[in-house]
Amino acid sequence: MNALLSRRAPRLALGLIAPALLLAGWQWLATSGGASAVALAPLGSVAAAFVELVGNGTIFGDIVATLTRAFTGFAIGAGLGVATGTATAVWPLLNRVIAPLLNALRQVPMIGWLPLIGLWFGTGEGSELIVVCLGAFFPAMLNTHAGIANVEQRYLDVGEVFRFTTGQRFRRILLPAAMPLILTGLTQALAFAWIGTLASELLMGAGGGLGVTLQTAQVQQRLDVILVTVAITAILGFAINQIIARVRREVLRWQPASI
Amino acid sequence: MSAEPFPRPNVESSAPLRGELTNSDLDKSFTIGGQARPVLENINLTVRPGEFVSIVGASGCGKSTLLRLIVGLDSEYGGEIRLDGERIATTSLDRGIVFQDHRLFPWMTLEQNVELALLNTDTPKARRAAIVAEHIALVGLSGFEKAYPHQLSGGMAQRAAIARALVTEPKVLLLDEPLGALDALTRVHVQNELQRMWLAQRSTMVMVTHDVEEALYLGDRVIVMSPHPGRVRRIVEVGLPHPRDRRSPLLHRLKDEILAELTGNPAGEPANLVTFPARESR
Ligand SMILES: Nc1ncnc2c1ncn2[C@@H]1O[C@H](COP(=O)(O)OP(=O)(O)O)[C@@H](O)[C@H]1O
Ligand SMILES: [Mg+2]
Repeated sequence: MNALLSRRAPRLALGLIAPALLLAGWQWLATSGGASAVALAPLGSVAAAFVELVGNGTIFGDIVATLTRAFTGFAIGAGLGVATGTATAVWPLLNRVIAPLLNALRQVPMIGWLPLIGLWFGTGEGSELIVVCLGAFFPAMLNTHAGIANVEQRYLDVGEVFRFTTGQRFRRILLPAAMPLILTGLTQALAFAWIGTLASELLMGAGGGLGVTLQTAQVQQRLDVILVTVAITAILGFAINQIIARVRREVLRWQPASI
Repeated sequence: MSAEPFPRPNVESSAPLRGELTNSDLDKSFTIGGQARPVLENINLTVRPGEFVSIVGASGCGKSTLLRLIVGLDSEYGGEIRLDGERIATTSLDRGIVFQDHRLFPWMTLEQNVELALLNTDTPKARRAAIVAEHIALVGLSGFEKAYPHQLSGGMAQRAAIARALVTEPKVLLLDEPLGALDALTRVHVQNELQRMWLAQRSTMVMVTHDVEEALYLGDRVIVMSPHPGRVRRIVEVGLPHPRDRRSPLLHRLKDEILAELTGNPAGEPANLVTFPARESR
């Protein structure tokens, strides 16, 4: 059994079983008549919608707009998050001053910010980006802080014995020791950035993107377009996760393999 | 203790004073639950330059604490610790330590772990790689340069930690139960290596161990400590040249004496390891 799972081809094949069953069930429901046919377009018409969206180029425009927004927001939000988390972990005084405020703010779910941001900055692309940044900021900050603040004294002792400078201590002890948690933070930040992108596009509808198309399709009752867009969102999200997991394995190759 | 320190080969009498360690009236206490609890009391001990001193004593009698003070990781103590006349207040590249746990950085390869010891030395950058390789070879780990600590066995990691401590050629090397994690065979091997390296570098070494036989085999003197609070109970001078014969009757007689001292039993107890709670947290 484990031998089967350790080979690439069988592993891929096993992973495809569930999606294939899903598609088969879908087709059956969509063509069987009855109430469920209204909720699901037949695969044929979904494929036709896909061809149409690819043909007129909208889908690529949407993908680019959504990915750009997600990654820009992720880069800014997570970047600030890692920087803030590092600063609060290294300077306890700063932590004392801003931790209570940040801890209160993070209790507000990402979507909860939308009305306020809408009022302050309007419902344009800028506001969408702010939501994404906020979504990415908190997980990055919290995990980075925890990672750096909890580096074991045992390792810091070694740095002291070898007379490490502040910079050496940071680069050779604090940062690598905290890296597993920092990467966890970045993974969560990316997931939140992705959710924030779709949510803000759906609700603000500015500047194009998969969420905007979903919203328009809902208004136009284009079930096929909605299904194509949802499927593409799922596939993109999956791909991003795979990439992150890979990066993590590569960066943390010093860790003993788990399981 | 009037016996002359045994003259070792290559020790020149004109060599400058290097690594004389003096502890005078050393006191140390920790505050536990608001109360000062003495851990070390009135420690007076002078380690001669180039001498190998072993320390044995029950778990919790303050051996690790003493080494932390000497290496400079803790400056809150009473009395004085001096190295070649200079008072110890912080860490220094003149003093190295092998911790009870190896403390290699898991995120660095063996090679990088050893090399980081040289970061703040004036060793020319161009020579560092060669020096590192040399010390890795010295502890018998050639071929494992690119291995991460989790890919090494406990004994290998401990030897790597010894290489890391030796690479800066400190005047004083402190070893906190460095061989505690090794199996009996590897242990004998690393003891011999350690002795060889010490004879080659002639730095001052202070080694904590719970193995009395090991303490006697390697040490010019063996310091026997008693607990609560930690004090020097007895100093045993081992007047034998290095390298020694493990079967020497003198070593065996001294072992019996020290074990009797430690356990409070009359001499003759045929035990090797001191049977105190063996594993300690640090
Ligand atoms: N940081 C600390 N805070 C409070 N007590 C400590 C600390 N470190 C060690 N101790 C206490 O000091 C005593 C000596 O510890 P240690 O030096 O580790 O003993 P040994 O190495 O001889 O086993 C123990 O009772 C231990 O509980
Ligand atoms: Mg100890």
